Amino acid sequence: MSALVASDLAMGYTSGKLRIEVLRGLSLAVEAAQLTLIAGPSGCGKSTLLSILSGLQRPDAGRVVALDEDLFAGDRRARDRFRLQHTGFVFQGFNLFPALTALEQVMLPLGYMGIADREAAARSRATLEEVGLGERMQLLPAELSGGEKQRVAIARALVKQPQLLFADEPTSALDAANGQIVIDTLRRIAHGHGTTVLCVSHDPRLVGHADRVLEMEDGVILDDRRPAAGEGAA
Amino acid sequence: MIPLARKTLIHDWRRFLPAMLAVAFSGLLLLMQAALVFGIFGATAVYITASSASVWVGYPGTQSIELGRPIGPEARTALLMDPDVSRVEPFAWVGADWRGPAGTGGQSVFVSGIDTRAHGMIFADALTPAQRAALATPFAVIVDRGDLAKLGVPVGGRALINGDLVRIVGTARGIRALGGVNVVASLATARRLSVDGGDGPEVAYYVAQVKPGVDPSVVAARINAGAHGYAAWTAASFARRAVFYWMFETGAGLGVIFLATVVFIVGAIITSQTLMGAIAGSVREYATLHALGVGLGPLRRVVLEQAAWIGVCGLVAGVVLSFGLIGLASWQDVPVAVNVPVWIACAALVMGIALVSGAAAVRVLQRADPALLLR
Repeated sequence: MSALVASDLAMGYTSGKLRIEVLRGLSLAVEAAQLTLIAGPSGCGKSTLLSILSGLQRPDAGRVVALDEDLFAGDRRARDRFRLQHTGFVFQGFNLFPALTALEQVMLPLGYMGIADREAAARSRATLEEVGLGERMQLLPAELSGGEKQRVAIARALVKQPQLLFADEPTSALDAANGQIVIDTLRRIAHGHGTTVLCVSHDPRLVGHADRVLEMEDGVILDDRRPAAGEGAA
Repeated sequence: MIPLARKTLIHDWRRFLPAMLAVAFSGLLLLMQAALVFGIFGATAVYITASSASVWVGYPGTQSIELGRPIGPEARTALLMDPDVSRVEPFAWVGADWRGPAGTGGQSVFVSGIDTRAHGMIFADALTPAQRAALATPFAVIVDRGDLAKLGVPVGGRALINGDLVRIVGTARGIRALGGVNVVASLATARRLSVDGGDGPEVAYYVAQVKPGVDPSVVAARINAGAHGYAAWTAASFARRAVFYWMFETGAGLGVIFLATVVFIVGAIITSQTLMGAIAGSVREYATLHALGVGLGPLRRVVLEQAAWIGVCGLVAGVVLSFGLIGLASWQDVPVAVNVPVWIACAALVMGIALVSGAAAVRVLQRADPALLLR
């Protein structure tokens, strides 16, 4: 079953007199409860694709159906609402608020979803424990290592129990050990929680762990392969 | 709900401090200029505010005390006949020319002729019973201690008023006038000092106290209903009339409004710039929240809440600073006066500065486009 279907996506930018086509009629179906990786050289359009598939940016042409909902049929507010209810994000930079403890970072989006403090705190604690930060949840970002910060960011995305999780280069700022922890966590989220994880990365470590790898270049998908089951299983 | 606005303010207080100080100093400037203007122009109403009378009767349409014209004794009768009036007292007011010792030149002075008995109403708050008694001596006068240097005569010294020799028998505080010197004398002395030699009924005002529990405005209205050739005001409204007459007569009132506008704009610019810098520093975090589906509306509220807290903290700091400065000013005899409406107006303006700045800073959030995080 496909959680995310994109058809005939086109997107371009005008830079001076130059027109740059980033996506050229790209179509794609992302399957539910899998870790799908979009790989490719920088500038191939993979980040633009991610921002369109997640509803952050409207394409010039084409259609995105996420969880049986036409993403760009409604206005910006409707997309904000859709993201609040159904999606999580993990970015390359951790983007944590310097003033909040790990627990508060994770609780923050739940407050905006209208979830009461007590329940938000319980869910956030459980999620931080799941990413292995049970002992560190009272610390500020300045007191956490890079890997721990990225795990807080993952917990913040995961605590909403989203059906869709988008990750942009989640391992590129991390060393080997921390990168591995993040990769394993993303894989567990897909298989354990049934979340559709769509990850953009050029990190070769991730390739072996993905259920499906889409190779992108010059705005189109060149290769679609599924590494053998168990090949990179943690 | 995690209090993001407050937590960020406390954690990054150094970043927000300039905004808070800008708000505090704007408040201090607004309050001090109001205090100075009311202090300076309050001097035009000093006869009224330093006296214990609650109803004043004078020539109809009198805008300020020195513009008074003589009124007839029927005004006194009307007051005495009013059932709620407990005491009536005349108040003479004479514009005169002061000649000190050689070398000090002439001075315009305002001679107040008052009832010198211990319970007299005029200048009840400025003169002691002993000073009043001293005024009973013919040609004895009292001046404000701040005016002695200007008059060039020490206590005990002599000078000429309208050609008659007077002697300074003491000094008081808080009876300084605007544009001249207040000289306090007895009713009899004032009458003798007036240019026409005291033949006419040189009484410009009658003042009265009302019985306990009676609203002076009711008495004033009753006197006005049957008045002919005179008019009654409550002490408060007559004082306000005098202050506002002088404020707008001299253009100072417009000056206050002009300067308040400048302070407001400058305060708002500094505060909004600081806020914008702070928000720009966290724009990636805001963009992440936006990516997670938190709309721009709730994010704007975070900024406005920060602005409101900056306003409250700045207000508290401004009030503390203002209290200190006003205390220092009154200790040094600088004319300052504040009242509750002035405090409230300044507080409202200060919160206005903070919230206008917040509203301006909200624009920075437009940059919190999550698509930027993906490049």
